[in-house]
Amino acid sequence: MEGIFAIWQRDLTKFFRDRARLIGSFSMPILFLLIFGGGMSGSMETMMAGNMPEGAEGFNYVEFVFPGIVAMTLLMTSIFSAMSVIEDKDFGYMKEILVSPISRVSIAIGKMLGAATIATIQGVLLFLLIPFLGLSYSITALLQVIPFMFLLGCALSGLGLLFASLIRSTQGFQLTVQILVMPMIFLSGALFPVSNMPAWMDVIVKINPVTYGVDVMKKLMIEVENIPAAVSEAMGLNITILGQEVTMFAEVLFIAGFAAVLVLFATFSFQRANA
Amino acid sequence: MDPVISVKDLTKKYKQTEAVKAINFDVEEGEIFGFLGPNGAGKSTTINMICTMLKPTSGSIMINGYDAKKEKDKVRASIGIIFQENTLDEKLTANENLMLHCRFYGVPKDKRQERIGEVLEIVDLVDERKQRVETFSGGMKRRLEIARGLLHYPKVLFLDEPTVGLDPQTRSHLWEYILKLKEKEGITMFLTTHYLDEAEISDRVAIMDQGEIIALDSPTSLKDQLGGDMIELSTEDNDQALREIDEKVEGADVSVEGDTIHLKVESSDAFISSFIKTLEIPITRLNIRKPTLNDVFLAFTGRKIGDAKE
Repeated sequence: MEGIFAIWQRDLTKFFRDRARLIGSFSMPILFLLIFGGGMSGSMETMMAGNMPEGAEGFNYVEFVFPGIVAMTLLMTSIFSAMSVIEDKDFGYMKEILVSPISRVSIAIGKMLGAATIATIQGVLLFLLIPFLGLSYSITALLQVIPFMFLLGCALSGLGLLFASLIRSTQGFQLTVQILVMPMIFLSGALFPVSNMPAWMDVIVKINPVTYGVDVMKKLMIEVENIPAAVSEAMGLNITILGQEVTMFAEVLFIAGFAAVLVLFATFSFQRANA
Repeated sequence: MDPVISVKDLTKKYKQTEAVKAINFDVEEGEIFGFLGPNGAGKSTTINMICTMLKPTSGSIMINGYDAKKEKDKVRASIGIIFQENTLDEKLTANENLMLHCRFYGVPKDKRQERIGEVLEIVDLVDERKQRVETFSGGMKRRLEIARGLLHYPKVLFLDEPTVGLDPQTRSHLWEYILKLKEKEGITMFLTTHYLDEAEISDRVAIMDQGEIIALDSPTSLKDQLGGDMIELSTEDNDQALREIDEKVEGADVSVEGDTIHLKVESSDAFISSFIKTLEIPITRLNIRKPTLNDVFLAFTGRKIGDAKE
């Protein structure tokens, strides 16, 4: 336990010391909020109006896209924080960790929790923008979503650790992640509804773990039970697999399982590593 | 007393090559064990296996009574390692680096500050405790690493090329610290180095070449095996001197190189005083040289230690 906590705390200390990284990782979601929230909300709402049933005027695109952008921030921060594993190898510190008696699973968990915590902090910082965007989410909704954000952060950091164990250079990591992250965001329903997709694309949406993360965040933040079913349908919040509607409980379970499997992968890669 | 490290028939095979060929050796508690060999001899492979970082193909390694294959955590807790390259976190302070190490090795919470102070004292870095490592010089970083390696009171301290990349002055300082450590703490040290004069401080030296240990003894007896001392002298008339040596000295191995006469004798201590009295020709230059580990290394491996063989 002490080992997990030490590794976690080290990554956090380094994160808070690195001002450039702090600002840099915050600017991207703000840019997206400006583009999607400000610039494109009018045209998105017009487009969406066609899908809306009669009398359902409740569609506010900014309200829809904000949780998506928070999820996107989680995704990017988690994965890039997992890159610290490659940096530790490059700077030799990984040797210090690997020759110590800490169990390999503790190293994996420590790294995962570190990246997830950083991602959650970044995500929660975005909440500060809520009043400026003219949005109002209930406090309970926000408090409910934070633990889930942490869980999602764990799963996505696990994904980052998997990439980091397969790719040895930071440059290679950044390139691969950029190629992978963008489709994962676009095909997750984070920025626009992913209902009515062509069949092949629908398959990708359904196997993309980010889809379920985004969906749970939106359901929690938009408080889906308070809006007309038709609107939530138009928002693409009723995901079905093979005609079965996916419940929020199942989604949370899936994300947790995903995180658990990935932490095992990471443990295995630390076991093999002889830095 | 049981040896603190015991290596038996240790072998590492890669697809094409056999990097380590069934080597055997013991390291006794409290000794400095020098581990020498040219590049590519299998030194690093051996050390990595002993440190549980690499899986042996066959053979056994016991450290502090634990099996390095099965009881990895116990072995890891018993050893401290100073790697060739820097493994400090430069963005953190000296204290933070040491504190992390305490936590990795499960040093009890109430002992941590005290021990950190203690090891910083040994390497003279007490005043730099709160400074970030990136502001340190190369020698300071090395000393901090040595301090860190000692924090969990390891049974054996591995020093892999501890002075590589340091200037001569810093190097000799570092050895002072290391010797101080041996005297005060009686810690067992396993040392590799490219600088053979530095290996002289070892109690015993193993020379590894092409995956095998070809010599293992104290530096003194290794040098004695080479046989005797070298006396180099010049005189006012070398031809006359040679004639005199031929007449008066029995069993001397004489050779001439330029204007220097080389005499190889069993022991110069017994020989030299009578020899100087014997010689009538005035000596202009006299140099008595004991064989060095470099001569030993050259004799055993057929090359100097710096010569790479990849």
